This record gives sequence, C-alpha cells and structure tokens, in this order.
Amino acid sequence: MSDKINETITRIAEIIINELKLEDVTAATFNPDLDLVDEVGVDSMDLATVALVLRDEFGIRIDEDDYPKLSTVRIIAQYILDKQSSGE
Amino acid sequence: MMTTGKASWKFAEILAEPGIRERWEKVRRYFFLRESTYDMTNRCNIRCEGCYYYTGEKQFAAEIGDEEAWRKLLLAEKARGITYAVLAGAEPSLVPHLCRVCQQVLPLGAIATNGLKSIPADIDYRIHLSVWGNDATSKAIRGASDMLLRQIDNYRGDPRAVFVYTFTPGNIDEASEVCERLALAGLPITFNMFSSPVGYDGPLRHSVESLRRTRETMMRLLLDYPQTVLFSPYNVVAHTEPLSLHDLFSCSYPRQNPSTDIGLGRSFRQYRTDLQWDRDAACCVPDTDCADCRHYAAGSAVVTARMYRHATDPTTFSAWLDYVDTYLAVWVRGYEKGPNLCDALVAPPPTH
Repeated sequence: MSDKINETITRIAEIIINELKLEDVTAATFNPDLDLVDEVGVDSMDLATVALVLRDEFGIRIDEDDYPKLSTVRIIAQYILDKQSSGE
Repeated sequence: MMTTGKASWKFAEILAEPGIRERWEKVRRYFFLRESTYDMTNRCNIRCEGCYYYTGEKQFAAEIGDEEAWRKLLLAEKARGITYAVLAGAEPSLVPHLCRVCQQVLPLGAIATNGLKSIPADIDYRIHLSVWGNDATSKAIRGASDMLLRQIDNYRGDPRAVFVYTFTPGNIDEASEVCERLALAGLPITFNMFSSPVGYDGPLRHSVESLRRTRETMMRLLLDYPQTVLFSPYNVVAHTEPLSLHDLFSCSYPRQNPSTDIGLGRSFRQYRTDLQWDRDAACCVPDTDCADCRHYAAGSAVVTARMYRHATDPTTFSAWLDYVDTYLAVWVRGYEKGPNLCDALVAPPPTH
C-alpha cells in the first residue's frame, strides 16, 4: 500500500509541476504535505485543470464539490486510491 | 462541428481536436484573474427602474472620497491576491479620481457606467456602458434623454468601451436597432439579462416566453452583426435558460458558497462605498434574486469556474471555450475574441 501511495504521489506531483509550470522543484523534491492553495499558490482553475489530467491518468472522476478538501498531494493521492478501490 | 458519438472522452483527446488546444492555451493564460468589486459612490446622475444598487442596505453606506483610504484598501487587496477590479455602483464616472487610484494599484479592471459622463482616457480599464433599449425606452425606464446618442458621442473610437445591452421583456425588439447603430459607430456590444433584485416583481422580470424570444433575438444578432456582437451560442443558452445561473451552475460567489478554501469563495469581496464588505451579501450583483440571476457578470465567473463539468466531449468543451473567450474579450482590455468554435446550442451539463 505504501508503495502504491508513494507512486501515486509522485505521479500527481509530476502532473502538477507540468500543468502549473512550477520551477525549481521536481517530483522527487515536491513535499506532498504542502498546502496547495496556501503554500503552492494553486487556484480553483488550476485545480480543475489538474483534476482533468488526473481523470485521464487514473480513470476516476473528481467531483467539483470535493475540490476544497483536496488540499495536498498526499490527500489527492489517497482520494484517488479510495475512488479506485471503490470502483467509482 | 467536430467528432462526436464517442462514449467517453479523455481530456487529452478533447484537446487534440482541431482548434481546441489553441483556444485552450489562449484562455488559460488568464486564469490568474481574481476579482473583487467596489461600489465607488452612492450617487448616480439617473435613476433606473430595477437598479440593483438602490436595493438593500448598501445604498445607505457612507461614501468615502479620500484617495489615500482607497489606495490603502487596493494595496491590501493586491497583497491578498486580487488581480482584477470591477468598479460599479452607483455611478463611478462621478468619482474619476477614485477610479484612477484603483487603476494605479490594480492595472486590470472594468468600470460599469451609464456613459453619460466620460471617464478620463488615462483610466485604462474596460468600460461597460449600460443600454436598456432604444432611446425612447431608456427615457421611460431611466429618465434620461438621448442616452445611446450621448453614450456613442462620449465613447466613439474609444478602445476601452463595450456596450452592454440588458434584455428585458419590453425591449427585445429594440436590440436590433441598437446593434445597428453601434455597428455603424464601430463600437462593440455584449448582452446582459435583466435579473430581478430581491423582492422585485415588476414588468422587467423575465418570463419563459420572454426568455425564448430573447434567445431567438440574440442568435439572430450574432449572425447579423458578427463583428459587433461579443457573444457566443453558449452564452445565449446559459443566459436564457428557464433556470437561473445559480440553479444551472451552482454559483461560486460567497453569498451562495460557504467554502472559504479555494476560488471565489476564498478571494472575492464586494466592497460598499464605506470600504466595508459583508460575506453574506458578497457577489457581483448583490441584492439580486439568485433564483432569477442571469447577469452577465455573474455568468463570467460562474460558468467559467465550471470547466470540469464541460470537459465531457469536444462540442461541450468548445462551447465552454467560446464562453470564456467571450468573457475575456468583454472584461480584459486588449484581449481579442476569436471566432466561435461551436455553433450548436449545447445544453448546460448536469451538476453530476
């Protein structure tokens, strides 16, 4: 399980770095517990964009109402794994 | 217009369709825009029936005319991430010195005005000039003579100007002559819908029938004046459905959105003339009845924010891109609207 979540965290970090064109950070150095809004500067349109790429990548739907609680990469990773395991 | 019939689309596949990625890259450059709105003065040089400003408590707020107080507020706004100012009630052209302070601090913004008094050219915001019908109707509803004539005279050749035609049940048939006059003057126009203030039950409130007639008229004007009208078929749909914008898209302004974590619920404020704001009243048109809100300013934020639910297939996403392209052309100085990608009347996607 821990390998799975670490792998998911790394992939989410890669997507965020790529989509938001973040500099001076790599998937390996991205702190998965950073608050995406307060500490990374992600806004709602950024998150919607990332959500669409995650939908492609992981085959899960991210409800718009869930955006506010997806505050860190680790939380997003757990959200994705939960969705995948429940077959949503 | 493009490939359809596929059961489900990946976002990457949608972007790969002709014309979509280019438009997507064009509009996403403006996702940094974070707005707040500011009532500049409690005075106006006319009185319009159904005016949202002179409804509710905000009209009684004290007026602060001190430039330094405004500069301090706008600097604080900038510091908390606001990048776009909307200067509205009651009539900002009466306090140009305050508008100038706002523009000096936040270079991007728009001013909503009735256009009877010119705003100095150095205040380089988009200027939205309100039109409520032909001059006879404007005289009856707004009490001012020759409004369109005077507005055109004041803003002819001014690249800041966009006319905003507010459709009411009584002026639908007058929109064509207004578009024609603006086309001849080389001035752009976009469309708004009268949205009732809370408690308003007068003749300007739309009915199912007036919404249907408005939709037909808007579509015809899009075809007749493609160089003049800043709108798209999806704008037409979103603003003439029997359901309000809130019912269609779950309004994301604080007044209807309890979340303070992200987006408009986190950043948007609507300041009154006393430079105070109230979260419970905060939206772009306070004191509008949310169940009747089809306001163009509300749609610009609310429809745009619902990108995810529009990314279902190339047609629906193209319609959304047209909407965002329109909103940026209406609100951002120098942004050029592209040709609409989607000619179909696409139904708004369901919430879930």
